[in-house]
Amino acid sequence: MITKCIRPSNLEEALEQLNQQGYDGKLIAGGTDLVIEIKHHPYEKSTLIDISRLKELRFIEIGETEICIGAGTRFSDIVNHPEMKGICAGLWEACSSVGSPQIRNAGTIGGNICNGSPAADSVPPLLALDAQVIIKDTTKTRTMPLKDFYIDKGKVAIEANELLYAIKFRKPKKDEYITFEKLGLRKALAIARLSCAVFISLGDGDKIEDIRIATGAMGAYPQREEALEKLLIGEVFDAPLIEMSTQEIFNIAKQRLGSRSSAVFKCEAIQGLFGKALRRAAKEAKSYDFHQFNS
Amino acid sequence: MKKRGRGIAAAYYGTGYGNGFPDVSRARAEISKDGNIFIYIGATEVGQGAKTIFCQITAEILGVETQDIHFVCEDTSQTPDAGTAAASRQTYNSGNAVKKAAESLSQRLMEQAQNHLQLNSVHGLKLENHWVYLEDFPKKRVHFKELVKEDTLIVEETFTAQTVKMDEETGEGAPYWPYTFCCYGVEVEVDTETGEIHVIHGVCAQDVGKAINPELIEGQIEGGFAMGLGYGLMENIGLSKGEIKHNRFANYLIPTALDVPELEKIIVEDPSSTGPFGAKGIGEPVMIPAAPAILNAIYDAIGIRFYEIPVTPERVLVAIKDAQKEGKE
Repeated sequence: MITKCIRPSNLEEALEQLNQQGYDGKLIAGGTDLVIEIKHHPYEKSTLIDISRLKELRFIEIGETEICIGAGTRFSDIVNHPEMKGICAGLWEACSSVGSPQIRNAGTIGGNICNGSPAADSVPPLLALDAQVIIKDTTKTRTMPLKDFYIDKGKVAIEANELLYAIKFRKPKKDEYITFEKLGLRKALAIARLSCAVFISLGDGDKIEDIRIATGAMGAYPQREEALEKLLIGEVFDAPLIEMSTQEIFNIAKQRLGSRSSAVFKCEAIQGLFGKALRRAAKEAKSYDFHQFNS
Repeated sequence: MKKRGRGIAAAYYGTGYGNGFPDVSRARAEISKDGNIFIYIGATEVGQGAKTIFCQITAEILGVETQDIHFVCEDTSQTPDAGTAAASRQTYNSGNAVKKAAESLSQRLMEQAQNHLQLNSVHGLKLENHWVYLEDFPKKRVHFKELVKEDTLIVEETFTAQTVKMDEETGEGAPYWPYTFCCYGVEVEVDTETGEIHVIHGVCAQDVGKAINPELIEGQIEGGFAMGLGYGLMENIGLSKGEIKHNRFANYLIPTALDVPELEKIIVEDPSSTGPFGAKGIGEPVMIPAAPAILNAIYDAIGIRFYEIPVTPERVLVAIKDAQKEGKE
């Protein structure tokens, strides 16, 4: 049961506290998931370490080649940022689709990542951007790919004394684009039943130089669909390729979801979601007339 | 692919408890010694605007502004019983009781004014701004306060709806009085790849008898449409072996503001002969045609009839797939 709440005044103090509390300490930022968890279930940890006011964790840095976002950055910060929509449409779309304005004002991108929900909205686009997570403890800073950060449902590769500091990824260039599609059961305050992000880099003659595909709520955690990516890299983007790739994602979903009651629906729906995300990404990456792919 | 379709649905609805069941509302009207007007009624305000329209009805009859009415409701130690806020009956039933009480109070005021002003009759007396005056000779006037100097003026009236029990053998009878009628038209967009349904437009025509407060009616239509939309497309208690799985608003979904389209509202006025100023109740009827109109529009869009609600994306996709299979066989 939570009996104590500590609010460190800077990052160093927060890491110190996390180190001292060990397993009893739990970080809280926006609290949009954690508070519900604490209220509804017996909670084993005793101390909350409130990092919601740490300025060091709340930043969006857009460099020449790289974008770095502090873990304590609110969804609203991203949604209201003047450049994010233009540079990383898919990430912006995902952050815009989180909960409601109130939840976006409180919830943080770091919380979304660390909570480990298979339906976390911001994670598929970050995976498709091939993001790296930057993790700190009192003595060191380490970096790892986000795709390796997920272990299982609700489980991420972070130690009790560690804190997710920021997330970074290469800034998309010309001829590159990222999209996000989400299937929720209503237009706001909806948990993703299924989501999909596609990053595409198109070269001359519509050759797919690079593509990264990530799905949400299609398995125990959000994941990269690397098998599918391999089939598409180097190919020419055309209608038969779209057909082949949607069929392939159906096969992947079918295998992964097995006999789950939602499988029939999700296997159908992921084709539609992925198809949309893919067509739109390609259309935006190359701004010529792409209507032939939009049925 | 996104496919659009249109659908309509109409409903008629009997106001009140009906079927011969005693449907009674009582209201008390008072003028206190300091000249203030009070209405006491056991009717419950649940957001439908009963308080507002009862004040409007009283103000209309007593020739004052609505804010001049001191309105007391819900407190059973102070108010006479007016039945439940149910069956869309408060405007009609309790509205009639309030109107009768206000009329009775008006009559008493005029009788007292007749005495006070030493007139031969109450004919030609008018009420306005807490004065009773003779229309043809407005100098002949007396303030409410003058008339209640001695005693508070109190009247209580009862309205009992006329309903006839149906014959159990033949089903004949006149179980409700009055009926309201409504018809909604909607346009939907169905995404055949994801099963999502987007209600993009709605037109709601609602017979109200007489609109006592048009804005409240529009609000009630908006709310009713939203409820009907949720009923048709989202609300699902998730019953599994007798257990309700969707027991929180996190998983028992109702529409958000973003899910409800802009609505065109048409108020149809055809005064009811027995309603207060011709008004009828529309509390519940406004919800009824929304879901069937939406389901008809879905049929128009994709050619599939749904006989089970809510029509979720999951059901839509599975139905489309089944229809494709059947088509192939």
